[in-house]
Parts: sequence; C-alpha cells; structure tokens
Amino acid sequence: MTVDPHVLARARARVLGVVSADASAPVPSGLTGASDGTRVWLLPQWPDGATPALLEEYDTAPMPLDRPGQQRRVLAAALRCCWTKLDDAPWPGGEAPVIDVLEVYAGMSRGDADLARRWATGELRRLSDTGWLLLDETAGTVRPGPRVALWREESLASLRDLLRRLPQPVREDAPHE
Amino acid sequence: MSPTSETVVTAADDAPSLDDALVGEAVLGVYRQMFAALARDSGAVVDDPELVDVAETLLAAFADAGEEGLTREQMRYVCRRYPAEVFDNRLRVLKGLGAVREVFPKPNQLRYRASFTSVVGLMFVRRMMLDGGQSEMHRLLALEQLNVADPRMTAEQARDGAEGLARAFRLWSVELITLTNGTIEELREQAPKLWGTEEILRRAERLHGAILRRWPELDRTCTDLRAAIYAYGDASRRAAARLSDSAGTTRNLTLLPPETWRTFARTASREELAAVLDGFVFDAPAPWHEPSTVVTAVEDGPRATPPRPAPPRPSTPDPGLSGDTGSDATAVERLRAVAEQVLRGRDRVAVEDVLDQDWPAARRVLADLQSAHLHPGLPYRLTWSDGLAVRPGGSPTWISPGVFERTPPSGPRANGGTAP
Repeated sequence: MTVDPHVLARARARVLGVVSADASAPVPSGLTGASDGTRVWLLPQWPDGATPALLEEYDTAPMPLDRPGQQRRVLAAALRCCWTKLDDAPWPGGEAPVIDVLEVYAGMSRGDADLARRWATGELRRLSDTGWLLLDETAGTVRPGPRVALWREESLASLRDLLRRLPQPVREDAPHE
Repeated sequence: MSPTSETVVTAADDAPSLDDALVGEAVLGVYRQMFAALARDSGAVVDDPELVDVAETLLAAFADAGEEGLTREQMRYVCRRYPAEVFDNRLRVLKGLGAVREVFPKPNQLRYRASFTSVVGLMFVRRMMLDGGQSEMHRLLALEQLNVADPRMTAEQARDGAEGLARAFRLWSVELITLTNGTIEELREQAPKLWGTEEILRRAERLHGAILRRWPELDRTCTDLRAAIYAYGDASRRAAARLSDSAGTTRNLTLLPPETWRTFARTASREELAAVLDGFVFDAPAPWHEPSTVVTAVEDGPRATPPRPAPPRPSTPDPGLSGDTGSDATAVERLRAVAEQVLRGRDRVAVEDVLDQDWPAARRVLADLQSAHLHPGLPYRLTWSDGLAVRPGGSPTWISPGVFERTPPSGPRANGGTAP
C-alpha cells in the first residue's frame, strides 16, 4: 500500500505539531510553510486568511490555556529581544540569549525576580513546544517561532507600539549565576 | 412442549377438585414456611434487615430448647434486645406463615415449636446474600451430578433438572449482558458476583455430557442447556473484557484501588508509563496568540511599579524653567549697589538727606533701602526714631528722622559670607 507523500506529510504535521523540513521539501496542500531560508516549518492554513482569533467573534471557546496572560507576556518579552528591527516582519527575526528574555520578563513583572525567571523558563518551553518560539536550550538562545509568520501584517501595529515601549534588556546588572 | 406443561393444560381443563386445592395449599405452606423469615407481613417482604435477625435469633433459641419448645415469655426473653412492638409483629407474622406453630394444635396453647423448613430457607437466603448465587450454582451442579449418577433417577427428573439449569444460566447471562451494557461502575460493583469461573462452566458441561450419555433421547433439552452454558460463558467473558478494557483506558481511576495506581506509577519503568498512551494520537490545536491579545496581556499584567498618573502639562509648549527664579543674586547686587550709592563710602546717612529730591524718585529709593534693610543677606539697617518734621514746602512734606547705616560684620543681621 502506498501512501501519497503529501498526505503522509500532512498527517505528520498534524500529529507532531510544528515540524520542520528541508527548505527544498515540497509543502503539502492544506498547509502553509514558514521558511527561514534553510528550513521550512509546516503550519496549518485557514481559509480566507482567517486566524483562530475569529473564534472569539463567534463566542467559541479557543484552545484552553493555563495562565494565558503569563504566557503572552513571556512571548512579548521574547519578541522584545528577538524582533529588534520592528519595521520588518517578526519572522524569521534574530536570535537572542534566553537570559535577556528572562531579564525583560522579570523587569515587567512584580515580585520575586528569581521566581519570575523560573516561571518564564517554563513558559518559554511551552511556547517552544507549540511553535511560537524556537528555543535552543543547549545554546541558551531563543528566536521567534514559525507561528508568528501567520500574524497578519495589519494586526501588528499595536504589538510594535508595545515592543517599543518595553524596556531594553539590561545586561550589565544581570549577573546570571 | 414438555410433558409437564401438558399436564398443567389438562388439569386446567378439568374443574378444580378439592384434592387439587389441598395439594396447592400444601405447596403454598412449604413456600410460606421457607420465606417466613423474610416476610414483613403475610403480603410483603421485610424492609429492614433487623427483622430477619429477629427471626434468626428466635429460630436459634428454638433449636436450643429441644422438643419442649418455647413459651411466649421465653421467646420474649430471647429477643429482649429488640423493641416489644417489633417482636410482637415478627411473632405474629411467623405464626401466620407457619414458621412458628403450637406444639399441639389446640386453643390456649402455651408452648411453640419452630419449623425446620424455615431454618433451611433462612440458611439458603443468607448464603445467597453472601455470594449471589454463584456458589449455589456450584452446589446445584454438584447435586445434579450426583443425581445423574443415581440409578433411581428417571429421564423425566433429568429433563426437569436440565431445564432448570438452562433457565438459570440463561437468566444469569441476561443479567450479565445488561450489566455489561450499563455503566462501568455498576458492572464493577455487581459483576464479580455474577460472572462465571471456568470451574462452573466445566462442571456444567460435564453434567451436560453425563445426562446426554445416559439418556440420549434428551438431546433437545441438552442442546438448550449447552446453548445456555455457552451464552453464559460468552456474557461472562464480555463483561470481564469490558471491565479490563475500561480499567486500561478510562480516566476513571476508581476502577482500581488508589494504592494500585500509586504502586504502578512508582514502580513502572519509563517505557511502561509511556505505553499507557500508546495508540493515542494527540491532535490538539495549538494555542493561538493574537498580537492584540499579547498587547492586552502585557498591559493588564502586574507591573514592577504601580502606575502613577503623570502630572498635568500645559497645552502650550513649555519653555522650561526661567533662569532668574530660585536665586536672587541679581536683586541682591542691585540692592547693594543702591545702598552703596546712598552711603557713598560713609557708614551711616540720615534718611532725610537721601530723600531730598522729588517724591517719585525718593519713594523708589526709600523702597530699595527698606528692601536692603529687610534682606537677611545684606549688612544694612534702616532705623527710625520718634518725632515728625513737617516741611510745608518740601518734598516730602513730612518726615520722621531716620538713619540708614551699615551694620558691622559680627552684627546680628550680618550673615557671614555676604558681608563685605
């Protein structure tokens, strides 16, 4: 029994989450590819350019999320560090040290900074699992995930404003033990 | 149709005779005695397990009493643990159903004896309660096996026995199937009392073979029995499979005792734990973070410093702070210049000499002298004395004599550094 390689690739992408393939690999129909030049990530494609944010307009519960606010704040902190050229698109962005992201997040939040860093580390991993960030734990770097490539250009204005307002990562007074 | 039902049909065709009524009454008597312990009154079953305990206590006391029997007072004494009305009710019902009867059937009888049938019935009931008919089925099968081997057994009796067993197996499997299709909790609760062991099935098949060998003409009855046995085996296997299936895949962790789950989680290897989710495909949609929700989350999030409203600003452009406020150095220098000009090197000068000019100029000088006098950093003093000089043609037209003078550096009004 032979299986259409496109069907197989689509099934793999659905089951394994966000998978990357060589940039030369074909993108099966029904999926869209986010490429950074060398690799291509297969992502779901929605009709008519809609995003899951449309669910809200229909009063449909989106994918449930533990502590969505915290996860989005960590995403914002990561983008602050990775998306340095705000006039460009966020994808593919640049690499940034995880320490910087943790510092930005700790600066954004109240309370124990160590605790905030630990929370943020967990959220970074979750964001990396779902394709919102690409986390390289051995190198200690993070870069935007392929999913941010699905953001529509016209929805980015407020996010750009926000990232301009967020504080810069402060390297000197952040000794990381 | 079996011959038994034919006889019933023929008996129903005839008009019932007194003999029939008598036979029926005897059968009913046995039934009543058997289940007297379970009766609440002559028409209903007990609704409180304690009532059965009363009957059991009574029957045990009768067994101890021997052939003498017991009087009513002795019975009451035996049952002293129970309330009087309960005891009266039980005794009345037991007497009514024949489980307890007079030693001699005559009026004003004081001594009573108990019926043997009731005791056996109660034993049977207790056993059924304990293991739900399964061991009873074992006993019946063993008994039937003995009967089949008995040379006095007739084909009729064997057929009745086989039919009874087939009926029991059928009902049994129907109950199991109903449970299997019901909720898993109920199945777990009830099934262990109902589903069969290999032992019961083997015994039943052995009995079936023995009947068929001895009375080959009963093959139709035996086919029924065989089908019932197999149906029961299937139902029992299906119930077990459903239970084990649901224990494997369900999230209902109450299907096994908590300690079992805990032990498994502690002792299982990583592969075993991972195997729990073998065959599961996770295709959950990934969470979506819209840029606007990211912005909202950051803005709604807890802040490092509580937000403080900015002070109001004028709408016109702000030129910033003016240069001459905050320090009065220029004013001091001007006052000092005026004072030195008035003194012209002297230490003191009379005010009326200074003011001998027209009043608009004189009052400016007077104001400056007064300011120099009041300024804490300047070493000048303006003192007035009593008296009033009226100068009708002069300017000003009246004046009090006063002196403007330089104060010494150590004076009370000289403030260190600014003194010359």
